[in-house]
Amino acid sequence: MPSGIAVTGVSRSFGSVFALRDATLTVPVGSVTALIGPNGSGKTTLLLMLATLLTPTTGAIRINGHDPVTEPDLVRAQMGWMPDTLGTWPSLSPRAALQTTGRMYRMNREQSAVRADELIALADLGDFADQPSRVLSRGQKQRLSLARALVHSPGVLLLDEPASGLDPAARAALRQLLRRLAGEGTAILVSSHVLAELDEMADAAVYLADGRTASPEQVAAAGASARAWRIRSLDDAALERALGTPGVVGTPAQVIGVDQLGTLVQVESEAAAAALLHNLVLSGVPVCDFGPAVGNLEHTFLDLTRDAPAVPGSLPVAPTESEATT
Amino acid sequence: MTGSRNRVFLTGLWLVVTLELRQRVRGVSWYVLLGVFMLLVGIVTFLLWLATSAWLSGGGGVFSTIIFFVLLLGTLVSPALSGNAINGDRDAGTLATTQVTLISTGQLVLGKFLAAWITALAFLAAALPFLIFAVVLGQVSLATIAISVLVLALELGVTAMVGVGLSGILTRPLFSIVLTYLVVAALSLGTLIAFALLGTATQHEATRVTNYVVSSTFDETTGRQSDIICSSPETTTYKVPRFDYFWWLLAANPYVVVADAAPGAFDDSGFPTDLFGQIAVGVRTAQAPAELHTEYDTCAEAATGYLDPPYDSGPSPEDAYDGAVPSWFIGLTMHLLLGAGALAWAWRRTRTPATRLPVGSRIA
Repeated sequence: MPSGIAVTGVSRSFGSVFALRDATLTVPVGSVTALIGPNGSGKTTLLLMLATLLTPTTGAIRINGHDPVTEPDLVRAQMGWMPDTLGTWPSLSPRAALQTTGRMYRMNREQSAVRADELIALADLGDFADQPSRVLSRGQKQRLSLARALVHSPGVLLLDEPASGLDPAARAALRQLLRRLAGEGTAILVSSHVLAELDEMADAAVYLADGRTASPEQVAAAGASARAWRIRSLDDAALERALGTPGVVGTPAQVIGVDQLGTLVQVESEAAAAALLHNLVLSGVPVCDFGPAVGNLEHTFLDLTRDAPAVPGSLPVAPTESEATT
Repeated sequence: MTGSRNRVFLTGLWLVVTLELRQRVRGVSWYVLLGVFMLLVGIVTFLLWLATSAWLSGGGGVFSTIIFFVLLLGTLVSPALSGNAINGDRDAGTLATTQVTLISTGQLVLGKFLAAWITALAFLAAALPFLIFAVVLGQVSLATIAISVLVLALELGVTAMVGVGLSGILTRPLFSIVLTYLVVAALSLGTLIAFALLGTATQHEATRVTNYVVSSTFDETTGRQSDIICSSPETTTYKVPRFDYFWWLLAANPYVVVADAAPGAFDDSGFPTDLFGQIAVGVRTAQAPAELHTEYDTCAEAATGYLDPPYDSGPSPEDAYDGAVPSWFIGLTMHLLLGAGALAWAWRRTRTPATRLPVGSRIA
């Protein structure tokens, strides 16, 4: 009976160094959960344990009810894993690589050939399907890697940085694909640094910092805290005037800056933001853009990690940098 | 049930073998290498044919030298092709993606070993025309052909086992390739050096007691010496190297294993007719314990009229061969245990989910 991913109190140490201290999370069937955390917070270590490659030091993991340590084959048969390192057999074409992977999942020759053709169409690799993989670009290898994780139509999907190296069209396609797979009942866990990306496709998020998953209370508190809103007006002078008028901006809120995209205002809560917009419109300011300057995930992430200032546009993490597991 | 499970295991195993062969030994350079190898064997065969007058004496010498040549080149090429089978895949990021499939660690390690072995056997296959030529020249028994080719194939397999094993044990591909070469060198050359050094360094004192004839009269009617006056026994001491303690070192040499395994071919006076036989006799003679006390009585010899030699002139090479332990069996067993041990260790280190990671390595 598929039940998705359940992780309780998992830790993992390498020698005396703890890569993961205490992780607890669930990914229900039919949902996309984002795994968010700074470099070195243990995301890849956690995914390796879910992918049956590493044993946890303590704690329990269940993939559709099976323990990856004692029943790795049962887990592998229904789990697809896309690693953050791009490994493709260099002399095999994408088609041959997908067929070989299918055969590794004990499909017969015909089944794996049919499945390889489906996945080549799905990953939009048609033009390169019969060329050696070593000629593929980073983004193409990334799509091949995703296709390989889907070969055996797994019920649980683990994706480590799936969007890095993809162009905007491919990202949109990835988003649609993951939503569709979730709609078909797949439990999906995605780790990514591109938080705006995850905002659009994730149903839930798990925050990992310093080897610990944030508790729901921490997440709720972080989500509710003050954040920057961006306001753009057709009449900059009118906006400036209105914001300078006492009472328009609530007492705790303040203008924190102006950039080429608009004016940034620190607002305490969503209710305060609604009141601010109401006042601006009443003051006759032609507002054409009004919204949080950072996405929900990013705001919570930054608030939980704290060490980076909550200024939009400056992610504290380099999106393509990979983290070491040791 | 077990039948279908075996089928699943073998299907997966063969999948790994074919994947490995497609990955590693494909393309033009591989065929160029085989072509160069064939050319070399061809030249060697021709020169041997001239040097040994093989059209008169038969192909024994040519055959045994080609077998050695294949062993030499096989053990030179095999480490480079097998020594990074597992850690090279880890570096390329293709190991973990295979390990999350239903391919087991056993299938992975065994498959990589089989692929490396098949690659080495390709050299044996390329040398086949020349071996057949040597056989056509005559004087090579069917048993010699079958056994030496079989043992050669096993020795190439041992090299492949060590290479794949070390690639699973060590993290860095360069180290495992170099170490595989060192193992091959230690077995091929190191055993010879160690044997010579240890044997000569371990010297024991031997004594020889000799009696000389001081004077005697020759009796013409009996044709014998009479009135023999003998000197008092004279004792000399000297050092003898104890090679008999270290013959097993030679047994661990792959060339000795191949040579010793072939059934010995001897001529009428008990001398070996091919290179294999000469090596085998040498190695088996080394098993004989050194004589630490000898007596040489010239007087007794004179009294018997030099008719029967009173001292032993030593066994013929064939007698020494027949009387000794067949060392190839011991050597081959040692090699197979070494190879199987390396593979087993590699299997342990590669098994997932992993509890321990080697320092500085990354699983994915």
